[in-house]
Formats: sequence, C-alpha cells, structure tokens
Amino acid sequence: MTTLSIHNARLLDPASGTDEIGAILIENGLIKEITPGLTTPHSTAKSTLDANGLCLAPGLIDLRVKTGEPGEEQKETLATASRAAVSGGVTSFVVMPDSKPVIDDVALVRFISERAKETADVRIYPSGALTVGLEGNAMAEVGLMADAGAVFFTNGDLPIQNASTLKRSMTYAASRGAIVMSRPDERALSGSGVMNAGTLAGRMGLSGLSKDAEWIGAMRDTQLAISTGCPLILDLISTARTAEIAHDARQQGGKIYTTVAAHNLFFNELDVGDYLTYCKVNPPFRSEDDRLALIDAVKQGLITAVVSAHDPQPPEEKRLPYAEASFGAAGLETTLAAMLSLVHEEQLTLLEALAPLTNGPADVLGLPQGRLSDGAPADVILFDPNKPWLCQREDLLTRSTNSPFDGRRLQGRVMQTFIAGKNVFDRTAAKK
Amino acid sequence: MAGYTYTFDHAHLLGIAGLHKLDIEHILDLSDKYAEATRAGQRPDPVLKNKTVLNLFFENSTRTMSSFEIAAKRLGADVVNMPVAHSSVKKGETLIDTAMTLNAMRPDVLVVRHSASGGVKLLSRKVDCAVINAGDGSHEHPTQGLLDTLTIRRNKGKVEGLKVVICGDIVHSRVARSTTLALHQLGASVHLCGPATLVPNGTETWGAASVQNDFDAALDGADVVIMLRLQLERMDGAYLPSRREYFRYYGLTAERLARAKPDALVMHPGPMNRGIEIESAIADGDRSLITEQVEMGVAVREAVLHLLAGET
Repeated sequence: MTTLSIHNARLLDPASGTDEIGAILIENGLIKEITPGLTTPHSTAKSTLDANGLCLAPGLIDLRVKTGEPGEEQKETLATASRAAVSGGVTSFVVMPDSKPVIDDVALVRFISERAKETADVRIYPSGALTVGLEGNAMAEVGLMADAGAVFFTNGDLPIQNASTLKRSMTYAASRGAIVMSRPDERALSGSGVMNAGTLAGRMGLSGLSKDAEWIGAMRDTQLAISTGCPLILDLISTARTAEIAHDARQQGGKIYTTVAAHNLFFNELDVGDYLTYCKVNPPFRSEDDRLALIDAVKQGLITAVVSAHDPQPPEEKRLPYAEASFGAAGLETTLAAMLSLVHEEQLTLLEALAPLTNGPADVLGLPQGRLSDGAPADVILFDPNKPWLCQREDLLTRSTNSPFDGRRLQGRVMQTFIAGKNVFDRTAAKK
Repeated sequence: MAGYTYTFDHAHLLGIAGLHKLDIEHILDLSDKYAEATRAGQRPDPVLKNKTVLNLFFENSTRTMSSFEIAAKRLGADVVNMPVAHSSVKKGETLIDTAMTLNAMRPDVLVVRHSASGGVKLLSRKVDCAVINAGDGSHEHPTQGLLDTLTIRRNKGKVEGLKVVICGDIVHSRVARSTTLALHQLGASVHLCGPATLVPNGTETWGAASVQNDFDAALDGADVVIMLRLQLERMDGAYLPSRREYFRYYGLTAERLARAKPDALVMHPGPMNRGIEIESAIADGDRSLITEQVEMGVAVREAVLHLLAGET
C-alpha cells in the first residue's frame, strides 16, 4: 500500500467551494483524506511532500483535444500530447474523432484506448464520430462505440449540415444514453470565413466568420436537443449570446452543456495583427467586447467547461498566407495560465477559473475525478498562481508548437502533476 | 526647422497604411518629375543600373507587370518577369519556399502580386531585398492608390477638400482600400458607394467619409468619380441579381455624371467592363482620365523603385 501526504498546500476545490491551507492524503491512487488546516504531513503517510503554500487543485479535464494519431503523427501523437498535457496540468482529456482514419468504428475506439494505455500517462478518453467518416450522412455505430468507451459523439469541426440527419442521430444517441457534441455553426453562412467578421476583417481584406452563423447553429442544435431529449454539448462557443441561447434551452428542459476555448477568453481579433496564422482559429478571436462578455458568462456559471481546443498544426500548415493556413492552435500547455490571467485581471476568482476546468467537465461525463473528495482518483496538480514565465514555442512539449501564446508573458505555472497518486510531471526536476 | 531633411525610410512598400502623409507627397513629387521627363522625351538617370528587379506575379496581370517592367527598365534595371501563375513554381511549393529560393538569387527588388491578403507581407519577412506589393488579395494595391492620387492631384491641382466617389465592388477591391487610404491622408473626402452586398462594414477606419448605396445621391457635388471593375462572377445571383440591374443602379452614364460637378473627372483602374460599370461614351469622353492613370502608373512605379532601391 502506497501512501503520500501533500501538506502545507492551498487546497482549491471548486466542487465543494474549498479554498484553504491544508493537506491531502493519497492512498493507492485515490484521495483518502482531505484535512483543511493541516500544515504538517498526515502521520500515517509513508511519503510526504511539503507544498510550501502552492495551490493544490484537481487536475484539469479537457474535453477537446486533437492529436495526429492515428494517421498524422507528424502533428502529434497520443504520447507527445500526453507529455504536453501533464506539463500543463491536464490529467484527463478527450480526443476528437477527426483523425485519419476517422474514429467511427468500435475497433478504432479500442485502438485509441489501448494506445493511450501503452504510451501515455494522462487519462485519455476517446470520442466517436457521429456520422460515418464525419461525412454528415450515415449514422455511425454510436451504441457499440459507447459500449467500447467513447464518451460522446460529434461531427467535430464539420457539424452536420442536414438538420434531419442531426435530429435522427440525436434521437438515436439519446436512446443509447449517449451524449452528442456539436459545433454551433451554420456552415452555409460561415462559408469561407477566416477571421472574425467585422471592421478589421474588412480592412485586412479577409472574409469574415459572422456571429450569425454561430447563433443560428446554436438555436438549431439546442432546439433539437430539447425535442429529442439528447444531452448536448455546444462545442466551442465564442459569444455571450450563444451562452444565453444555451441557457434559454436549459429552461425549456434541454440538457445542454457549453464549452469555450481558453484562447477565446484571452485573445481578441486585434491579436491577428499582421496576418498571424497562429491566431487563426475557429471560432475566431472575437472583438474585445465579445471577449469580456464571454468571461462574464464564465463568471455567471453559464459555461460548463473551458477547453484547450488543442489542435496541433505543423509549419507546413501554418507558414502560409493567412487565408490559406489551417485553423487551430496548440493549447494544452497554456490553458491554465490563460485562465489564471483572468484571475490576475480580477475578472474571476481562482475557484471560478478552476470550476470549468475540473468538476464542470467531470460532471458532463460523469467522471469521479475533477474534485478533491474522499475516494476520488488522486489526479491533482500543484501550481504557483503567480509564477511569471515567457511562453516560447521552442520550450513547448507539444510536437507542433503552433501556439498563439508564443512570445507572451504569462503568470501562473504548474509545478507538479499527479495522476492516480503517481507523480507524472515535476517542473523542478524537468529543469535539471 | 533648420537642418531638417526628409528621408524616405521604408524598406518595403507593402501598403498605403504604413505611409505618412509626407511619404505620399514625396512619392508624388518624384513621380511628377518622372512623368514630366517622359513627356519631354528625356531619359532619366539610371538610378537602378546594375540592380535586378524581379516581377513575381502569382496572379495574372499583364498590365501591372508591364508597368513595373517599363518603369524599372527606364531606370536602368535588369528586369526578370516570373509569371508564377503559369509555372511549376506554384505547384506544391509554399509561398515562403518560393520567397527563400528567389531571395537566394539576390535580387534588389521583388515586385509581388499574390491572391491572398497579407501574402506579400508574409513574403517580405523572409527576404533581404525591398518588396513592393503589386496587389495582395483584397487587401492593398499601394501603387494603384498612389497613381490615382497623383492623377487627381495633377488634374485638379490639389487633393485636399475634393469630394471623391469610389463606386463598385468595394469589399473585394484592394484598389478601393489603397486609394481611399491615400486620398484620405491628403485631405480628400472619400465617399464609397455600391450595393450593400459589396460594401464591408467599418470603412470609416480606412478614412472613408461615408458609405452609400444610392449612387445618384453619392454623386452630388463630386469632383472625381472612380469606378471599380466588377468581377463578372459576382454578378450572377450571388451578390447581385444581374448585370443589367447593376448597370441600372451603379453604371456610370452621362445622365448620372451630370449630378456631379460640371468639371468632375472620371477614373477607372481597368480593365473596364464597358456597358456594365461604365458607359463607353464616358470612358472615352474628354472627362475620362483612364489612359492618364496608366501613364501615371509608370511614373509612380519609377518613383517607388527609385526610393526603395535607387542610388541617391
């Protein structure tokens, strides 16, 4: 029996509202005891760790990660994504099904789970394609994939355009107890847009991604969730109004969750600057007013989960003229710092910033981790909320380093990461 | 300000947006000299002697490329034209790879046209020589903005205080952006006009005084009317119902031009769609400056090449 006591830590648990100095006792990979006020180790522990006042919180649970495995390993593998994740404090993540081949079959769901076990420290959960090949036509084997461990079903970045197909898919998924995740995006309207529609796009001569497309998509998807009773994750919303559309649908009885990419809370459209392709993401960085309203939606608890939307893209996809470059940003290593920046700006409290990273997403998937409670898996992080650092691409652990944070000064950094009580990342050791 | 001397200190010409009013006036003054020299049949000093100018056009454009070629040759440069749109360079090679390859050949000036907004700027970051943007997507076409401004200044004697109406497909036009920015810098009042589907939001940030959908109203009291080319593929129902409806509301006719000032002048960056955006009688009439624009285009390009790469 292995036991570890981490003491003299600032315990942060959004699920219970705990924010005080204390200690936790880990036994056999599970949290055995949480002892507020305790600044010395639990006497029964075989090994001990003095946190020296660092914050101790549940590890981050990220509902939206892409790697390149299988098929595009030059972008990222499950192993490289895992390394990046644990250094960013992410202890569980869901991989998107849009790989090559698309994860639309039981065998592929099992492949992801098995490769994850073999090669990665982080807990990796597969998601499944909602339609075969993500083509938006024929329903994929949702039931069989769910039985094999797929945690939700989505058409990824290419949401189903045909409302009838989506409705039937949701009706069926609901009958199998499955969750559907959909990007609210009326693709006929977003068309060939590459950045936020508006003055700046007009001046730069770039075609815009309008908010109308997101709102109409959200109205359609939430209405179908109400009609079918299917739990729905509105994937990557970028405006406060979308959060309100989701909230209204909840009032109508819909089981609706919302996710926001951390970078959409940190950047605005001006960051695209001189056609910086690292800032080309979809949904795009919106206006500053939109960003602030979205942060307010997080504060009000309208956002279920903040995700990295980690989407590694190699140089050949990004060193191109803006309109021709791929969408996507590497995000696993900067999610926590992005959220902590909002704490430093006094827009959010620490617990408000951590909730959509921990118990929020855990509750969507019904996971036992994401909280500091007796019997929960001991997936915890120690972080210094004030530690300044310079984000530089070459220091990132992700295989593709397409981070919009490149060159940014950030504040707040993960020092140690534990999964099932095992130390999987130690920054002080990593330095040496 | 004793001892003050102006210097043109730009490494590239990527857009009007990066230029100060003094820069624009300086370029126009020099352009005037080149225009006068050409008209007088004089050969200018070979300030680009032993320099290599590379015309790199990822989009076809015989007119603009020829204009740059003539300008560079008049100044004594060696000119190499690379119409990449037709060549194997385009296939499978990224813009940056192409840029780095050409950079290794040590040209002194790269004149670049590319279909992507921001494409020329991206290329300029990867090369050591001066880069001139000859049009990037729907973003900027700075020498066009300068030549339009020069043509107006020569014919009206000034730019400040003039009312200039630019009509047509504003949203897709790099000419509209560059010309509006340049004219606004020199104090003209620029009014943009076109069907609502072809006018973007936020044009006040380019310096536009107004945006109107009613061409007749916009023309009231205008000193200069600039008509833009309408891409034919935009006219078949996607942005506009039909050519004839466009001509009915936005075509420049003699009757419509009568709403502008009696001495109002007409311009067009070419190539024209006669009978769609402009009536032939107007295009060929005595108030049309369309061929003078082409002439000034060479003069402006001589001035820009001189400032960026010439021996001073």
